[in-house]
Amino acid sequence: MSETNVVKTVCGYCGTGCGLILEVENNRIMKIRGDKDAPVNKGQTCVKGAFAYEYVHAKNRLTAPLIRKAGELVETTWEEAYQFIVEKLTSIKTNFGAKSISLFACARSTNESNYVTQKFMRTAIGSNNIDGCNRT
Amino acid sequence: MGSNTTEAHPIIANRMKKAAKAGLKIIVIDPRKIEMTKVAHRHLQINVGTDIALINAMIRIILKEGLFNEEFIRQFTSELEALKKLVEPYTPEFAATITGLTPEEIDLTAREYASAGKAMIAYTLGITEHHCGVNNVFDIANLALLTGHIGREGTGIMPLRGQNNVQGAGDMGCLPNQLAGAISLSNDEYRKRYEEEWQIVLNPQAGDTQTRTFDKIESGEVKALYVIGENPLMADVHMNHTKKLLENLDLLIVQDIFLTETAKMADVVLPARSWGEVDGTYTNTDRRIQRVRKAIEPHPNTKEDWEILCEISTRMNYPMNYNSSEDIWNEVRKLAWEMYGGISYRRLDQEYSIHYPCPDENHPGTFIMHERFHQSENEIQTKSTFVPVEYTPPLEMPDEEYPFMLTTGRRYESYNTHTQTRHYAAGVKIKQTEETVDIHPDDAALLGILDGEVVKVQSRRGELQVKTKVTEQVVPGLVFMSFHWSEVPTNILTLNEFDPISGTAEFKACAVKISKISA
Repeated sequence: MSETNVVKTVCGYCGTGCGLILEVENNRIMKIRGDKDAPVNKGQTCVKGAFAYEYVHAKNRLTAPLIRKAGELVETTWEEAYQFIVEKLTSIKTNFGAKSISLFACARSTNESNYVTQKFMRTAIGSNNIDGCNRT
Repeated sequence: MGSNTTEAHPIIANRMKKAAKAGLKIIVIDPRKIEMTKVAHRHLQINVGTDIALINAMIRIILKEGLFNEEFIRQFTSELEALKKLVEPYTPEFAATITGLTPEEIDLTAREYASAGKAMIAYTLGITEHHCGVNNVFDIANLALLTGHIGREGTGIMPLRGQNNVQGAGDMGCLPNQLAGAISLSNDEYRKRYEEEWQIVLNPQAGDTQTRTFDKIESGEVKALYVIGENPLMADVHMNHTKKLLENLDLLIVQDIFLTETAKMADVVLPARSWGEVDGTYTNTDRRIQRVRKAIEPHPNTKEDWEILCEISTRMNYPMNYNSSEDIWNEVRKLAWEMYGGISYRRLDQEYSIHYPCPDENHPGTFIMHERFHQSENEIQTKSTFVPVEYTPPLEMPDEEYPFMLTTGRRYESYNTHTQTRHYAAGVKIKQTEETVDIHPDDAALLGILDGEVVKVQSRRGELQVKTKVTEQVVPGLVFMSFHWSEVPTNILTLNEFDPISGTAEFKACAVKISKISA
């Protein structure tokens, strides 16, 4: 029997920000309960927060970059994916300007990833065409 | 207003319900008889998209009856005369004809809101997902300023955020017009701070919102789109149109944890890490910064969003390197110190959550915003302006050909395009396992439709087949659907119109017809 790790975190669904306690065994989330110490939810959870976590372990998670070849998306390496992206983005930027590149950021991702996302757009790309799913 | 709190924000709803038991008066303003109406003191079952007619009438009553906060208005606001003039035609009787409410309901609501010792307005996408979404918000602000219900505990305006980090993503600068710290790009001094740290000259001109980006893809001005953790094909209005636009692109990059409907259209797809696999912070709906922690080891061939972007950036000759999310957060704290300077990971571990603004390590965080409204007069730098707004009806009203108003929203057990909530833990009983069109019993009877029968729903933009749910939650003439199931892509029906200021689309109103499928 492997021991159960307990991890305190915050729910990733809606904007309420409920504190959760995850019970983890063999690198799998086994159970989620509300954190009684959490200022927002004081131990409560809704059905999504407590039970809708299996997606993390889902078999159909993406585990390799995909690239379109002859019309089909096929698995590739990170290096080939990066090379393709950098070449395409550079050529589009050179031919049509940075304005012709847009990015939709992720309101589910962390503050840290979002900070880097906008920094990437405003520096490496040089475009302010960045928005999120804030409006849906 | 326009918030199905019980289903979309269940834990906030629990707190509201508990407060209602303890004597809080809740007034629900919603076109549907949502569950919150059970504990409500009153339900204003308003016609879809008529909020401004209601609020303007309330403002008029508050002005006529002298229920406004005269001292507050004198000290902190301007342009009251313009507001007075604009709301004059909005008598309770006139507003009643637009909203479908009675003049008495409107009158009582205005009096109760204005004369309450403390009153708060909580709203969600029922307010913003209209062509007049910004005006709806302005009018809510007019109401709060008129009565002084802002800047004190138990008052204010509370937009309930739909995604865990919608607040944070915007605050971090993932908006076309602002940098991290939520300060406008056009602020020279602030932009300079970033230019020095990043060693680059920044473009001060705001970029494009999502909806404008779609327009520019159509016109050919935007050639490449990078989509992170989002499924716009399913989530955005007028799906057939969105699909054509995405096909138009020279380059579509999708970074996600699943091969979503949008990812299937991409030229390249990058496998990201999910919640449970990453460290960092989220900002919740009331400006609380909290720590999200890594619970499991991710698949080794996936990468975190920031890691991917750093690697691409470096290959595009703008090197970015961070050792950890804490490293990134400390850069944010340094640059946007007025907001986050005092919010270290160490403090978050000890204190659980801190509300920004929190400029330094000794600052306790800011629990209540806009307290300046209750400071002495001479400390106030600028006055808040009333912004009078006119009612404008939904852009596509039901007619003979498309006689039903379709309004869209969310359901309790599912989340957005459902890529994650498809995966519930074993043994969890789910009540709603597929999409339905929710229709009133009278309408169902007129059409000869039974509960559970599969029907055809058509709009001017597309059609689909869906099971019916006969329910008194909607009124006759109104039907409801969510956009959770890709099998029933509701946004094939919705209208491609949006608010000119925010760019938010009119998800909440379009005309449809419903017909039996002949055997």
